[in-house]
Amino acid sequence: MFGNTGKIIEVDLSAGTIGQKTLPEEYYKKYIGGSGLAAKLFWDRGNFDTEPLAPEAMLVFMNGPFAGLKMSGASRNSVAGRSPLTGVWGDSSCGGYFAPELRYAGYDGIVITGKAKAPSLLVIEDDNVSLVDAAPYWGKGIESVNDGLKEKYGKNCRTVVIGPAGEKQVKFANIMNEAHHAFGRAGFGAVMGAKNLKGIVVKATKKDMTIADPAAYEKLRKEVNPALKEALAAVVLGENGTAANLEGGMVNGDVPVKNFASNYNEEMGSKLTGSELTDNYLTKRSACAFCAIACKRVAEVKEGPWKTPEGPGPEYETIAAFGSLMNSADLAATIKVNRVCNDYGLDTISCGMTIAWAMEAFEKGHLTKADTDGVEIRWADMETVINTLVPAIALRKGNLGELLAEGSVSAANKTGKDSIDYTCHSKGMEAPMHDPRGGGHGLALTYATSPRGACHVATPMLFMEMGACYWPEIGFEYELEPMTDENKPESAVISWEMGSIENSACWCQFADREMQISQWVDLFNFVAGYNWDADEMLRAGRRVFYLKRLINSRFGLTAKDDDLTPRMLEPARDGEPEGIEINLSGMIERFYGLAGIDPEKGIPTRDTLSEYGMAEEAAAVW
Amino acid sequence: MEFWQDTKQPIDAFLKMFEKCMVDPELSAGLKKVNQVILFDYTQDGPDCSFWIDTRGGKLTAGAGKPSDKPDLIMSLSADDAHRSWSNKLNPVMAITRGKIKVKGSATGLLKLAPKLKRVAELYNEVLQESGQADKILK
Repeated sequence: MFGNTGKIIEVDLSAGTIGQKTLPEEYYKKYIGGSGLAAKLFWDRGNFDTEPLAPEAMLVFMNGPFAGLKMSGASRNSVAGRSPLTGVWGDSSCGGYFAPELRYAGYDGIVITGKAKAPSLLVIEDDNVSLVDAAPYWGKGIESVNDGLKEKYGKNCRTVVIGPAGEKQVKFANIMNEAHHAFGRAGFGAVMGAKNLKGIVVKATKKDMTIADPAAYEKLRKEVNPALKEALAAVVLGENGTAANLEGGMVNGDVPVKNFASNYNEEMGSKLTGSELTDNYLTKRSACAFCAIACKRVAEVKEGPWKTPEGPGPEYETIAAFGSLMNSADLAATIKVNRVCNDYGLDTISCGMTIAWAMEAFEKGHLTKADTDGVEIRWADMETVINTLVPAIALRKGNLGELLAEGSVSAANKTGKDSIDYTCHSKGMEAPMHDPRGGGHGLALTYATSPRGACHVATPMLFMEMGACYWPEIGFEYELEPMTDENKPESAVISWEMGSIENSACWCQFADREMQISQWVDLFNFVAGYNWDADEMLRAGRRVFYLKRLINSRFGLTAKDDDLTPRMLEPARDGEPEGIEINLSGMIERFYGLAGIDPEKGIPTRDTLSEYGMAEEAAAVW
Repeated sequence: MEFWQDTKQPIDAFLKMFEKCMVDPELSAGLKKVNQVILFDYTQDGPDCSFWIDTRGGKLTAGAGKPSDKPDLIMSLSADDAHRSWSNKLNPVMAITRGKIKVKGSATGLLKLAPKLKRVAELYNEVLQESGQADKILK
């Protein structure tokens, strides 16, 4: 096998056993790697009745085929399984440094089941894989655990660790790599917590990799890497981070304000935008493995109420979630809360969204002090957010902590009084900080049809509507007008193919914007030796999308679950998209037709599945 | 060129537009935040077809040709696409993706300018109207 190692580690924490398994090459050709290959392993296991936090639940970490190959943005890793936040398929991608080290140690992935009798760490040192006692680390924050593991296993080891929020099984607990890079979404930190697994340490001494055509790959790499680095998007991201265009996004109506009740606050946009962070708080730039873009921030707040020592700085999603979404323009507070959430191990998107929902519920009187342990939850009150709400959630303290630790949808369902109407999610996963009313109606379509719930990185639709994608080889050469439904179903089909390829190949969406289709195909062929053409590559992407939808079908989802909430679909009240309606049902209907999806079951038809080489899977659902 | 008779015509129009921008309260404040020297390079249509703006130090100046100081940002495109762009009828991201606009240097200024294009286009249309070129106004 070329490219991939073909080997995964299998861990049964209940039995305390560790094994290795070789996967068929056909799996890689059909489902690529990353979340696609994880979905295939999950489907094969077939434990659809297992609750996400049950010992038997399956947790999969999976690399893509390019991990460790020194290509900008191509060394991410995916974690996947049944999400405790949504109860359906979930996956979450992380940059950082875990994927290359795992690859160098000789593995494409790790499949974990069972529950350890006591807090444990999985330690991978090439062929030596063991479970060790994690008692000294249990209960501690991620930064200190990461430091402790580096001290014990050497500074060159790579870590993925959960914080107290994961231990407490907060439904949106994350997993952090190197205490800086997050497997943020879908709550897999809680799954690790439920398994008594505090973290994974990987340390490789070899870097042997076999690829199909090393010379051709190296030539291509030397073409692609400089092009990615010099692209405008890379320059923008390197200069001012992922929040570089927050100010512009605010003008377009893409940035949510006050729990998606508003699409416009220009002053807030200018105070929270990336250049403000650069000018006032940035100490240095940082990057994931081999990435020339360096969009990561290292920040310090030197004085004031949010004094924060130098460390990992916030990304766009965190700045918006704890800024404009809460009606706050306090950038220093977002730096502080980012560090606090990271150390507890909380997804800043779902955490911010859940708190913003609580702010609105408190304002409307749907939550009162009787529900909140006496805490007043007010818009822009960042002191209460940072000192009271985030710790309460992470540690499940009191009624309020227990309520919010389950996520906004659960909290709204428990609260009642129509508070569900102003949650913003799809399939139970809180929406990221791109409001489709201003960001683009195609984004609404891909949020709604996303197997894991509302997600802006499952597909490149945000970039396609922005004008940042141009793929004439596969029919995407037309301009999209963001705030209409025109051509959105057609482009959504392409976006699901390309997004599934990106996420299965574990590429960063910022890094691969400059990649042409022919270069994608060449990469797969030079590295993995697939002998693909563009059509075969897109078919693999489509297959991944279909398989995730089949998994969700087994969890009971149907076409009705491809939806957004009333708050996200009501016409915007202000800003550029004011008054414009989203034709979500019309777009979905046409998308289903184009993608061969049954309009009631919400899964690909039997014929569609057969056409994509999934007759076996079809037999299980039709 | 589709819109221009010679290379002087667009530069005159664009400089007049910037004169208006400099005294517009919203735009002048926004431009000062850019704090860069930017060269708008349309020399693919002729060697003299370019102009610059200097927004450093809280002052706003502009001129034809090339600036005496090294620009922080150079935007290269055709004078016709510049007309579309200042008219807010060209998606700049798409134009960059498709190679119609080439950008070199720091993009901070570009990001500060982009949200102001709607207002800039209003002033640009005023210039076209006042200079007897209303036929160039893009609907």
